[in-house]
Amino acid sequence: MAEETQTSQAGAQAAGAAPSAAPGDSPTVGTAASGGPRPVKIIGIVCNWCSYAGADTAGVGRFRQPANIRLVRVPCTGRVDPLFALKAFEKGADGVLISGCHPGDCHYSEGNYYARRKFELLERMIHHLGIPKERFQWTWVSASEGQRWQQVVTDFVAGVEKLGPRKGRAL
Amino acid sequence: MSRQDHIREFATAALAAGRVDYVIGWKYGYNQSEVVPAFVKDPADVDQLVWNPLCHHNLVTFLKRKMPDPLDAKIGVCVKGCDSRTLVALLQEELVDKDRIYVIGVPCDGVVDRRKLEKEFADEMIHISFSDGKVGVTTRNGETKEFDKDAVLLDVCRLCRYPNPVYADDTAGPPVAEPDRKHTAPDWTDIAEYENLSDDDKQALLEQIYATCIRCFACINVCPVCFCWDKCVNRSRQPELVSQKVGPKENLLFQMVHMFHVAGRCPSCGACDRACPVEIPLYLLHRKMNKELYDMFAFEPGVKLDEKPVLQVFDIKDQFGE
Repeated sequence: MAEETQTSQAGAQAAGAAPSAAPGDSPTVGTAASGGPRPVKIIGIVCNWCSYAGADTAGVGRFRQPANIRLVRVPCTGRVDPLFALKAFEKGADGVLISGCHPGDCHYSEGNYYARRKFELLERMIHHLGIPKERFQWTWVSASEGQRWQQVVTDFVAGVEKLGPRKGRAL
Repeated sequence: MSRQDHIREFATAALAAGRVDYVIGWKYGYNQSEVVPAFVKDPADVDQLVWNPLCHHNLVTFLKRKMPDPLDAKIGVCVKGCDSRTLVALLQEELVDKDRIYVIGVPCDGVVDRRKLEKEFADEMIHISFSDGKVGVTTRNGETKEFDKDAVLLDVCRLCRYPNPVYADDTAGPPVAEPDRKHTAPDWTDIAEYENLSDDDKQALLEQIYATCIRCFACINVCPVCFCWDKCVNRSRQPELVSQKVGPKENLLFQMVHMFHVAGRCPSCGACDRACPVEIPLYLLHRKMNKELYDMFAFEPGVKLDEKPVLQVFDIKDQFGE
């Protein structure tokens, strides 16, 4: 497990203010204790072999990262149905991050080659539905790239926090 | 010899020779203002087959249902240009057995949007006739009006790049002139207005549009390339992807299931738009999807028989996501 992503809500807020995002940058997001809006909820869909292990590496390396993200582990990005992301948005997720092995590194040789075509279409269709670009991202993070995982998550969460929680939405 | 005569001739010959067990075509419904699909088994009934600009039904839809039948029926089917592309999409994936179908291709000059005509009259239309680019309509209480055919064409027909069938065993009459737009990049102006909206406006509009969806499955049932119709994930309760609750959110997700499942196969024939009883503009989604697929891969669904739908193959040289 990537323990670091499972820290408490208080930890989330502390980490949310980590390097790239100064506290003042996210006016719409407050802590539950201060009575402000709820923290953003982000679903991460990661492949078992690279990005999940990458998140683990980040945890083992004690890289600080926001805890707003909940990971869903799938065998391969080729397993990811574009509808997973849409379902997450429908269920109220504020952002969806999909990550897997770099092209050429797929544990199953070619899963992510199929996946990237789907994700590219998915990304464009999501924007067509009026969901801002910042709320959806797909990327590649390998098992050894703990630092990169930290960077990806931190940047993505900062982007979503800027927009704040979603409300009044068609999907 | 009119195209209609050609269709009847081909159908008679195929039925008489035992090449097919039945031919799927179009015939008049209750009156001459509407056309419905026809299944002709007997050469004596061939005369009921018609061809006119009311024949909007995509008859390939029936193949997706008949073909999994254990019966080894041989089927003749009439296709327009857009219908033939959906047939090619099915053939590309070997979902239809080429040896068991007989395809009568019908070059098409554009199909009339009956809904546009309906809105011109308070009364019921009972007769629609066509001559020289004009459409004459008679209603039940005798009111008659004439329209320019171009003014009442289906919106998808205005942008059509393939009026001639891309796949057919026999073609009913000479092909129509290829439109100029076939040689240029596809025209996506019909969705431009929506695309230019802000994110919030898009969401507001979608919420308004999808509030009226009654989830009758007409769009899915009528779609020739949406074929897991008996095990549709939209109907599945376990696992539950789409909630049974009816609301804009669920309805939009329902429609996105349809869209993603036909991505790479849907040539935007518009059958779903015409089938929708509450007139939801589904073209906003499937036209956009095709626009993006064209943008990403210069791919048009259902054009080449030896091609695979673009999401079922990959190319190591793709440049996405880096």
